[in-house]
Amino acid sequence: MDINGNDARPTPRRRRWLTLASLAAASGLLLAACTGGTSAGGGDATGGSAGGDTVTVWHYFSDENQVRLMDELADKFEAEHDGATVENVFVPYDQLNSKLVSAAGAKTGPDVVVFNGAEASTLALGGALAPLDDYWADFADADKVSPSVIHQVDGTTYAVQGYVNLLGLWYNADILAEIGVEPPTTMDELEAAMAKAKDAGYAGITLSALPQSQGEWQAYPWITSEGFSYDEPQADALAAGLARVRGWVENGWLSQESVTWDQTVPFQQFAAGKTAFAANGNWQMGTAKSDAQFEYGVVPLPLSSTGGVYLGGEGEGIGAFSKNPDLAWEYLTATYLDAKGQLLPAEIVGSLPSRTDAAADEAVTGNALLEPFAQTITQFGANYPASVIPAQSVADVQLTLGQAWSAAVGGQKSPQQAADDAIAALGPLLD
Amino acid sequence: MTTSLAPAAGRAVTRPAPGPRRRPPRQTRMLFLLPAAVFLGLLSIYPLVTLLRMAVSKVTAATLNADWAYTGLENLRAGFESGDTTAALSRTAVFVVVVTVLGMGLGLGGAIALRTSGRWSGALLALMVFVWALPPVVNGSVWKFLLADSGLVNTVLLATGLRDTPVPFLYDQYWALGAVAFVNSFAVIPFNALVYRAALLTIDPEVFEAAQLDGATKSQQVRHIMVPSVRPTTLVLLILTLVYGFRSFDFIYVMTYGGPGTATNTLPFLGYLQAFVRYDYGLGAATSVVAVLGVLVLAVLYARSIRKEEAHG
Amino acid sequence: MNQVKAGPVAVATKLLLTLMYGVPILWILLTSVKSSGDVFDRASTFVFSPTLDAYREAITPTLWRAMGQSATIAVGATALVLAIAVPAAYGLARTTGWLPTVGLGMLIVLQMMPQTATVIPLFQIFSSWRLLDTTAAVILADAALLIPFATLLLRPFFRAVPPQLEEASSIDGAGILRTFWQVVLPVARNGVFTVGTLIFLLAWGEFLYAVNFYLTPGSYPLSALLAQQVSAFGINWPGLMALAVLTSVPILVVFSLTYRQLKDGLTVGAVK
Repeated sequence: MDINGNDARPTPRRRRWLTLASLAAASGLLLAACTGGTSAGGGDATGGSAGGDTVTVWHYFSDENQVRLMDELADKFEAEHDGATVENVFVPYDQLNSKLVSAAGAKTGPDVVVFNGAEASTLALGGALAPLDDYWADFADADKVSPSVIHQVDGTTYAVQGYVNLLGLWYNADILAEIGVEPPTTMDELEAAMAKAKDAGYAGITLSALPQSQGEWQAYPWITSEGFSYDEPQADALAAGLARVRGWVENGWLSQESVTWDQTVPFQQFAAGKTAFAANGNWQMGTAKSDAQFEYGVVPLPLSSTGGVYLGGEGEGIGAFSKNPDLAWEYLTATYLDAKGQLLPAEIVGSLPSRTDAAADEAVTGNALLEPFAQTITQFGANYPASVIPAQSVADVQLTLGQAWSAAVGGQKSPQQAADDAIAALGPLLD
Repeated sequence: MTTSLAPAAGRAVTRPAPGPRRRPPRQTRMLFLLPAAVFLGLLSIYPLVTLLRMAVSKVTAATLNADWAYTGLENLRAGFESGDTTAALSRTAVFVVVVTVLGMGLGLGGAIALRTSGRWSGALLALMVFVWALPPVVNGSVWKFLLADSGLVNTVLLATGLRDTPVPFLYDQYWALGAVAFVNSFAVIPFNALVYRAALLTIDPEVFEAAQLDGATKSQQVRHIMVPSVRPTTLVLLILTLVYGFRSFDFIYVMTYGGPGTATNTLPFLGYLQAFVRYDYGLGAATSVVAVLGVLVLAVLYARSIRKEEAHG
Repeated sequence: MNQVKAGPVAVATKLLLTLMYGVPILWILLTSVKSSGDVFDRASTFVFSPTLDAYREAITPTLWRAMGQSATIAVGATALVLAIAVPAAYGLARTTGWLPTVGLGMLIVLQMMPQTATVIPLFQIFSSWRLLDTTAAVILADAALLIPFATLLLRPFFRAVPPQLEEASSIDGAGILRTFWQVVLPVARNGVFTVGTLIFLLAWGEFLYAVNFYLTPGSYPLSALLAQQVSAFGINWPGLMALAVLTSVPILVVFSLTYRQLKDGLTVGAVK
C-alpha cells in the first residue's frame, strides 16, 4: 500500500475519505430534516392529545379482532359526531404504562387511554389519568353500570370498564364424549375426568402458571376455592390450593411446562385438540372458532362456594393532559359506556357488557358460549384487583402471588413452602 | 490475498527501516475524543446520573414525576434483606459464566473455522448474522418451541433413545437457568465470531506461510499465531460479552419470565421486575447499580490489562 | 486470504454451527408458511399444507412505510455513530495517561446501563428539546446507546495499525488529521466495516426507543411492527415469523455487501 499519499489525484483513499465525510454530513442533514416534525397533529409536535376535533386513543391491542373493534368504535363515534376524528395509537402492552407515565412527566399524552383495568391505580398514582368524578356525576346512565367495573383510587374515579373478561372452563366435547363424561360441575368430577382423559392418551388441562400477574389471575379461582382470601390471608388455604394444582402436574394431567406459558399458548395447545380442558377466558372465542377442529363448550369453573373468579378487562379513562377532555368523554359515552356501543365488544371479541341493559340484550343472552361466563359473574364474580389491596401495592401483590403459584406448579418450592413465603411477603404489602 | 494488492506488498518490503523515533505529539490526539465526549455528555450522562439518584431515593409511579425523597442506602439494604438480590447475584454468576465461556469459545472457534474462503463459510456466516439480527422475541420464541416437551430437541432425544422422558429444559429450576444461558450464548456467538474474523483477517498471511514451511500444525498455528495476535480483540470482546451477560434480560423475559417461581431471576431481570412491574423505580435502580458495580470491577481489570498492553507495545 | 484448508476440527465446528443456526431458521421459515392451527399440532411439524397467507397479510403499505422508517433510522444512526466513534476509538488507541483510561471505564459503565433505565430521562431531554415524536430523537437515542459499544469495539483495530506508518506519514509532512484519514483509516477499514455493519443491524432492530419516542400513529419502524404480533390476547405465530423473515431480508442485503468488502479488504498484510 502506498503510504506516501499522492495528493492531487482522487485515489481510492480519497474517495473513502469523501464517503466518510459525506456520511457525517448526511447524518447531520438527516437530523435536521427529521426534526422538521412528522406530527400529524400539526403545530406542536406532541402526537399525543392534539386538541381540535381529534380524539387520540392509546391502546395495546394487536389481535385482529381487537383491532377491528377499535376501528368500529371509532367509526361509531365519528358517525355520530360531525367532524370528529378518532386516532387509535398502538403501544405494546409492556410499554404502555411506562410510556404514559413518562408522557405525563413531559405534560403530554393521549385523550383516551384503554389499559389493563388492574393497573388503574398505577396509572392514576403516576398522574397519567384525569379524574372522572365531575363527568360521572352528570352521567345519566351511571346507575346502569355495574359498580365492580368503576376504578377508584382514594375515593376519586379514574376509569370505567365497558365490559368484563373472565375465566371459564373450556372443554373439548369430542374428548369428553369419547371418555364418556359430562362437563364437570364439581372439583371431584373435574379431577375424575382428567384422570380418564389421561388414560385415553390425552392431556387433562392447560392453564398459565407464569410468575407474574397473569399467573395470579389464573391462580385466584383455585386458591379461593380452598378458602384463601386477601382479606385474611391464610397460609394453609393458599397451600391447599397450590397443592391441588401441583397434584395435577404430578398425576400427569397438567404439563409442568405451564410455568412458561402466558394465557395465549395454553389455549392454542387446547385448540390443537389433544387436551380435555382449558382454564381460559371468554376472549379466546375467536381463536376457538378459527383454530379448533372439534366440538367445544364452556362451563363455569367448578369451584367451591368460597371460590372467586376475577372480573377483568380494559379500563377506559381520560388522559391527564388531554387538550380536549370534553370530547374524550363524549367518545367514551358514545362507545364504551353506551348501551349499543357495549354490544360491539360482545359481538366482535366475546366480552361481557358492563351495563345491565346491554348484558340483557339478545346478542348476549342468546350466545351459548357467553352464557356460562355470564353465569360465572353472578356466581363467582370477584373485584379485580381485590379491593382490600392498597392501590400502591397491587402490582407487588400480584407478582408475589404469581411467583408463588409458578414456584409451586413448577416444583421450585413445595406448595407449603411457597405459601408460607408468599404470606410472609404479603403481610407488609396489605397493611 | 487478492492479486491487485501484490504490487503494494512488494513496496511494503522496501519500507524504510524505522529510524530514530520521532513521535508526533501524542496527546494532541486527545482532540479526537471531543465529539464523543460532548455527545455522550449531552445524552448519556444525565440518564446515568438519574439512575444513580433513583438508586438512593424512594421513587414509585406516584413520585416519579415529583420530588424524590433521599433514602440513602435503604433500597440497597431492602434488596439484600429480602434475599432477592443475593439469590439473583449467584444466578447471574452462573448465567454469566455459561454465556462467556460458550460465547467466547465458539466465537473464536467459529471465526477460525470460518476463516476459510468458500461457499459454506460465506453462507454459514450470513446465516449466523441473520439469526443474530433477529429480535429476541423471535429467537426466544423459536427456542421456546424447540426446547418444549414436544419440541424438536426432545423429539430427537426420545427417538434416538438417549432419554426416556423429555428433558425439562425450561420448567425445571436448574435446567431453566442453563437453557436461557445457552440461548443467550447462541445470540452472542455470531457477533463474537464476526469481530474475531475481522481481527483474524488482519494477520499477515506471510506469517502463516512461514509457519507452514516450518511444519507447524494447525493447532500450533492457532495457539501461537492466531490467539496471541487477536489478544486486544479478545480483551474487548470478553468485556462486551461479560457486560452482555450482566445486562441481558430479554430472552429470560420471553422464555421463562424469571420462572419457574424465581429460578431464572438474574440481576437484570430482577431490576426489570422491580422497576417496571412493581413500579418501585428506586429498588430497581439499586439492583442495576449492583450489576454496574460488578462490571466496574471487571472494567478496572480491563484498564489494567490495557496499561500492560501499552507497556509492551 | 491464503488458501486455508479446513481441517477436521474446523469442519466439525462448522457442522455444529450450521446445525445451531440452521435449525431455528428452518423452524422460522416453516412456521411462517403454516396456518395458525398447525403450529401447535404435533402431527404437522413437518407435514402440513403450506400457505402464504401470513406473507400476504404482512405485505401492506404499512410495511413499506415502516421499512422506510427503519432505513432512515438505521442509516442515520450508523452515520452518526461512525462519525463520532471512529475518531474517539482512534483517540483512545493513541493516547496515554489517566484521561483515556477513565474514558474507557466510563464507556464500559455506559454500556452497562440498562436500556430501560434510559427511556425516562431521555424522554425528559427530548421533551425539553421539543424533539418528541421526531425521527431525530430516535436516531440520537440510538447513537447514544451504540457509541460506547462501537468505540470499545473499534479501539483494538486502531491499536493494530503500526505506529510507524503514521510516523512515516508525518515525516512526509502530513498533519494529524490527514494522516488519520489517509493512512490510519484505510488500514483499519476491516474493523470499521464490521462495526458499521453491526451498528446498522442493531439500529435496524432497536425497538424500545422507537416505541417510546414516537407518539404519532404510522411512525413506527419495522421492529415496533414486529412487537404488534405479540399481545396478551393472542400471538399470531405465522404472522410473527413471516414478518421476521421480511424484516431481515434487508439485513441480509446489507450484510452481504459489507461481507464482500471484508473479503477483498486485506490491506494490513501489505504494510507490515
